[in-house]
Amino acid sequence: MTRLEIRIDDHRVHFSGRIDDTAQLATLAAKLPAGPIVLDTDGVTFINSIGMREWIRFVRAAREGGRQITLDRVADVLMTQMNMINELHGLTVTSFYAQYACASCGFEAQPLIDAVANQQALQMLAPPRPPCPECGAAMELADFPERYLSIFRT
Amino acid sequence: MTPGSPLTGAAGKLVVVHPERRAQRSLQRLVGATLCPVEVVAQLDKATIDVDTIVVLDAQLAAEEPTSCGRPARAWIAVPGEGLAPADPATVSALLGAGWNHVIAHPMPLLAEELLATAQKLILKQYFGLEKYMTWGAEIRGYQLDDAIERDAVVGALALDVTQVGLPDRIGSLVSVIADELLANALYAAPVDEDGVRFRVGEARDKARALVDKDVVTLRWATDGRYLAIEVRDQWGTLDPSAIKTRLAATKTSTADGGMGLPLAYACSNQLVINLAPKARTEVIALLDIRYKPTELARSASFHAFTGTV
Repeated sequence: MTRLEIRIDDHRVHFSGRIDDTAQLATLAAKLPAGPIVLDTDGVTFINSIGMREWIRFVRAAREGGRQITLDRVADVLMTQMNMINELHGLTVTSFYAQYACASCGFEAQPLIDAVANQQALQMLAPPRPPCPECGAAMELADFPERYLSIFRT
Repeated sequence: MTPGSPLTGAAGKLVVVHPERRAQRSLQRLVGATLCPVEVVAQLDKATIDVDTIVVLDAQLAAEEPTSCGRPARAWIAVPGEGLAPADPATVSALLGAGWNHVIAHPMPLLAEELLATAQKLILKQYFGLEKYMTWGAEIRGYQLDDAIERDAVVGALALDVTQVGLPDRIGSLVSVIADELLANALYAAPVDEDGVRFRVGEARDKARALVDKDVVTLRWATDGRYLAIEVRDQWGTLDPSAIKTRLAATKTSTADGGMGLPLAYACSNQLVINLAPKARTEVIALLDIRYKPTELARSASFHAFTGTV
């Protein structure tokens, strides 16, 4: 199983692997370059409760340090867990992955949802319906909207 | 003719309390399958309840009288309210917060399966084992951890098993989180010293520790095409269902400073079952319904806490 790997690329921080008991994120905020930061979690495959605690401590430390944080390409596993935490509501998310299913052909996928283009709909807990890669029909979010979109409620 | 005697033959009865006639009929038929006497009433104050009674109560009525579960009875089970639609999350949270040990959130047909299994476990006082939730024929695979450091390996093996069964990535992802949290709970939160202190809570999770005798932890799983069940068992029997219910009752967590493991496993499940034999065994079973889309089920999971002996 891949441990968490963090790569800082200018103002973009890439996370990949598992955010679990071995992830040490508390001190990461102090290592970030000055200015706005984009957190890209596209490569995150797993997060457990201890990992979530670390993630929150990291985000909290960065915010308390006055950093402007944007989350981009948020992994599905992270998105659903962040929605369970009140403290993370109101974070700026520009895109995220979500579980979708096609009611027509049964295909399941994790499309990347553009949270900027769909901002108003997401705030109203109305997920977009991207086309199914297999049959082209409009896919549906395969879960309750609250589990993905509560974070967008202001 | 010699009638075969039901397995149960136990003293006591079931009382169904529901305001709707149609729901009453459904529930009566369901719990009638236990072959125990069933009494049906529309209001709680019309029911005769004693310490041998299992009360099956409409969730809306339960929410109106949340402390009723404190009255002497063998068990109180809240079932979905009006029209047997799913219980709403606020009701489930309120009942857990009020101390209910059995809250069924899902409508038919899950309600039928869950209620019958729950009633029979209570009647027979046979609490342990995921077999009670599987249809006959489902193969069970088990893993015993020889060392605490094997947690990741067992979770990985389980995720691979689930993928090979043909279940979607969504289920595999949920299974990984649930198994990881239940194992972490058994390995680090369950052990207590002679003063009842949970002395392994702060232990480094990447440290090797041989698991023998009291420290033995097992994981078993099975699927029968309806549910996928994950069972994690430890030999400490120290889980506190009251504390767990309080944590689960908080539908949102304001922060994540500890104690999030079981709530996370609950949030990923459709039914969470705790079987406890104090100081002897804790078993947590998480059930995922693999037949329906999540949105066709209740948003909150059902919860059951049984306490008995091994």
